[in-house]
Amino acid sequence: MIALHNLTVRTTGGHVAVRGADLAIQPGQRLGVVGESGSGKTLLALSMIGMVPEGLQVDGQVLVKGETIAADDERAWRRHRARTMAMIFQEPMAALNPLVRVGDTVAEPLRLHLGLDRAAARKRALDLFEETGIPQARRRLGQYPHELSGGQRQRVLIALALACDPDLLIADEPTTALDAQVALRITDLLVRLSQDRQMALMFISHDLAAVSRTTHDIVVMYGGDIVERGQTVRVLSDPAHPYTQGLLAARPSLMHRERRLPTIPGTVPQLFALPPGCRFAGRCARELPQCVGTRPPVVATPTGQAACHLPGAGQT
Amino acid sequence: MSDDLLSVQGVTRRYVLPRRTLLSTPPVLAAVENVGFELSAGQTLGIVGESGSGKSTLARMVMGFERPDTGKILFKGRDIHGLSTGDLRRARRNFQMVFQDPFGSLDPRRRVGWSIAEPLRAMGETDNDNRVGRALEQVGLQASQAGRFPHEFSGGQRQRIAIARAIITRPSLLVADEAVSALDVSVQAQILNLLMDLQDDLGLAMLFISHDLAVVSSICDTLLVMQAGQVLEAGTVNDVLGAPKHDYTRALLAAARVGGVASP
Repeated sequence: MIALHNLTVRTTGGHVAVRGADLAIQPGQRLGVVGESGSGKTLLALSMIGMVPEGLQVDGQVLVKGETIAADDERAWRRHRARTMAMIFQEPMAALNPLVRVGDTVAEPLRLHLGLDRAAARKRALDLFEETGIPQARRRLGQYPHELSGGQRQRVLIALALACDPDLLIADEPTTALDAQVALRITDLLVRLSQDRQMALMFISHDLAAVSRTTHDIVVMYGGDIVERGQTVRVLSDPAHPYTQGLLAARPSLMHRERRLPTIPGTVPQLFALPPGCRFAGRCARELPQCVGTRPPVVATPTGQAACHLPGAGQT
Repeated sequence: MSDDLLSVQGVTRRYVLPRRTLLSTPPVLAAVENVGFELSAGQTLGIVGESGSGKSTLARMVMGFERPDTGKILFKGRDIHGLSTGDLRRARRNFQMVFQDPFGSLDPRRRVGWSIAEPLRAMGETDNDNRVGRALEQVGLQASQAGRFPHEFSGGQRQRIAIARAIITRPSLLVADEAVSALDVSVQAQILNLLMDLQDDLGLAMLFISHDLAVVSSICDTLLVMQAGQVLEAGTVNDVLGAPKHDYTRALLAAARVGGVASP
């Protein structure tokens, strides 16, 4: 449905923020994208909706329903946005206009993209509010963003994203700003909507717990590379890439007070300081001489694929 | 008990909200309602709860930034809210705080050495034997980095600088309010380890506030779960997580669990 081939995003300074990513999303698929800040996960998502910030250079191919779309072909993207794919963001307050009633916000794409009249758009907005579980939906339509709680605002944004019945919903850190209980309800809602509507979901998060309860497949990113992919449950229980292993080990686990947590040495390097070969070189315990200079091949692992010179089980 | 470093006794803090209409009585929000706990030297108490549960208000009262309406907060047996402003400032050398946002808590126009020495200046002391340099080394940075500015450091390094500032007066209590929440997982583990190292080296007691149950369980001995200003449950980490009594605690557990990986 949407596919990326050898997608590379460069900054104005020529630094590579996403390197040669290949990714395809099937109808109804729920895909998680995990990685730390600066791993390129948001740029990957933005390139799938034609919203890479100006000044960045996009190379490679983006296929939407079989049609190749250039990164700057705004007319073509506008045809697909909202209908083929829609996106929600981390901070629901920043994404809503504080001066517009939320019902009107949701009605706007209905009138603009689908050409509904005012009454029909309002009726449809009410349906969407009810579908996304907003309590007292009719009253909420006339309220302003500041009158809603954080979870309700995120539901409004989900309703807005669903307005034109997209085939793919991209959710970029949708639960990061929310409290635990609310976050659970939002991930449940996303899973239910994806199943009910046969809608694909791309769920981007640094929160491994949220990704594990929301998605079926997973992509792990580091330093602009996709370093590992496979079924979410299997990758998280038996990771093959040293970075995925380190990430899982570094996460505090419930129930036991460990004396010290295993850590990944160093920090995520700045874009200009990334090693030319494997991006994880310099922080990896299994490093081989070729890791620094040669980009690792993508190899099959018991749980999927990994881009590593020496993938496999074992501690980093 | 007399050997407690910190004793919080039946503390309540209410805020009066703006009135809804001109003549109505303004509504009152009980941010913290009758909360009590004890913390001994070298121990770590975790406070978990969502935003608005009162955990930060509690921390601010322990630090003496804010006064409780009722109840007492005893630090080494002395009621900190009974102290004069000057005495409270001097007493604060014994309890310091680390905040959530490592970008907002350091003055961007001052060299980090200046920021780290700020508690010393507040005590009327000078950095005569290079305590700034040693504090930097204690948190895993180099003494020579004192002359740099905050923007030259990553988020994790900035949080180390904030910790260096907090330990420079050699406090016996450290209050950490969401100190690792803004950090990436791999950096978060480094900071948690640093806090545990410092605790061993300096015999620090810690009040560790977080919304992430996994983080709290990795560093704390005992645990308070708060919701809407009240303590829902309290006990050792294993007791509370092993047999959670409230739906809310169960939800926090579910939110922190990675399917098939870290589940108990």
